[in-house]
Amino acid sequence: MKLDLSFIWTAFIQILPAIPNTLFITVVSVFIGFLIGTFSAIVRIYKVPFLSQIASGYVTVVRGTPMITHLLIIYYSLSMLLDSLAKNYHLPFNSASIPMMVFAIISFSITAGAYLSEVVRAGITSIERGQIEAAYSVGMTTTQALKRIIFPQAFAISLPNLSNTFIGMLHGSTLAFIVSVVDINAKAQIVASTNWKFFEAYIAAALIFWGITIVIEKMTSLLEKRFSVFSRGGVK
Amino acid sequence: MGAEFNFGLIFDYFLKLLPFIKISLIIVGSSILVGLGVGLLVALPRMYKVPIFQRLSQVYVSFFRGTPILIQLFLIYYGVPEILKLLNVDVSRFDVLYFVILTYGLHSAAFISEGIRASVSAVDRGQIEAAYSVGMNGYEAFKRIIAPQAFAIWIPILGNLIIGTLKDTSLAFTLGVMELTGQSQTLGLLNRHFIESYLALALVYFILSVFLEKGFILLERRFIKYEKTSVEKSGNAFKIRNLFGKLNRDVIVVKEGTRL
Repeated sequence: MKLDLSFIWTAFIQILPAIPNTLFITVVSVFIGFLIGTFSAIVRIYKVPFLSQIASGYVTVVRGTPMITHLLIIYYSLSMLLDSLAKNYHLPFNSASIPMMVFAIISFSITAGAYLSEVVRAGITSIERGQIEAAYSVGMTTTQALKRIIFPQAFAISLPNLSNTFIGMLHGSTLAFIVSVVDINAKAQIVASTNWKFFEAYIAAALIFWGITIVIEKMTSLLEKRFSVFSRGGVK
Repeated sequence: MGAEFNFGLIFDYFLKLLPFIKISLIIVGSSILVGLGVGLLVALPRMYKVPIFQRLSQVYVSFFRGTPILIQLFLIYYGVPEILKLLNVDVSRFDVLYFVILTYGLHSAAFISEGIRASVSAVDRGQIEAAYSVGMNGYEAFKRIIAPQAFAIWIPILGNLIIGTLKDTSLAFTLGVMELTGQSQTLGLLNRHFIESYLALALVYFILSVFLEKGFILLERRFIKYEKTSVEKSGNAFKIRNLFGKLNRDVIVVKEGTRL
């Protein structure tokens, strides 16, 4: 059997419509994950009693287990919970009426939250203590100091890590096929199942992922230049 | 959907999953071995700036870091037999496990080569100059001065990679390998106690990761005796203590990619 070059192209065209699905899942879950991550990072940095232990436990457990287990556990337990709630309170919906993508997004947000918590924490703690002291000395409150002084610098420093996490989540979103969301990976499988040219279809899918990843990397390096103007050569 | 939640079953399933740790660890171990070999081959042209090969290894690393491991699994599983068929080698009857190991091996090779490069370049340039100044030649300087220091820097990177690969092996079930995830799916299907079996699965992976992480921290301590500051952050850096001791380590700011 020869490699069917023209089918790679056909598959490529047919997979393209699945890109928005993949990007949507990734962007939304990284965004929610970033909120969770920032919250848990701040809670841990300020050692808020109780909350900081919970945050540490969350980060440790999620980072210590594969993403696929999060998805499976969230999917099965949430739908079971919803079904029993619906049954007991006679609610007009059940787990089947919720789009599968929601389960994927919830689970991926939880995963991203733990990884981003580490990224945000590393970013914030890499800023010198003197910066916040200087902010206090000119009369800023803690919120102002964090918002105006610490976060912008921490953001610039953690950009490479943020982009790595984003790429990791992009690649992880291929797991969405488990809850039957049609993303790039699932679409490749569907395209190939018509004529069993799996190799060609996956080449097309790989090329698409490779392309998206390279675009993200290029955008990151542009952003990095833009955001690290303040540091004259200190940061990369 | 599933059957009533039964807490005791988690422990039951946990015990049933234990024998399958072996297969996951076999995949991790052999693919890291493959990865070390290939990774070194890929790293060398870039470190010594060999023309053409340098470009090739750049493309190799970019591809394996730029595509999801799941896609790579399918790509190699479907692609390698077809490519080898052109050379009249029939591998279609080979165990799936070999394809899985090959995929994880090639995948981790990309990360290993980046890790090697990063650790070697993280050693201060003055070190090699100092070695030259006391009369060592290039080989001696590398062997006695650069390599030991680079190795100490490399250990935590390798540790993260091995833990990442362990977590990635959870995808091998998509090709039908009966490892931890595949087995827990089977257990769940038996009497529809999915949540319990997946919780047990997460527990197994968590315990394995904790052990690996602890092991690598010990190893790291052993190798950074010569210098405290190169790997660990200085004393005033923020350190967290949590339920599990020093498990949440600082994110290493080497471009190694996040492994989910």
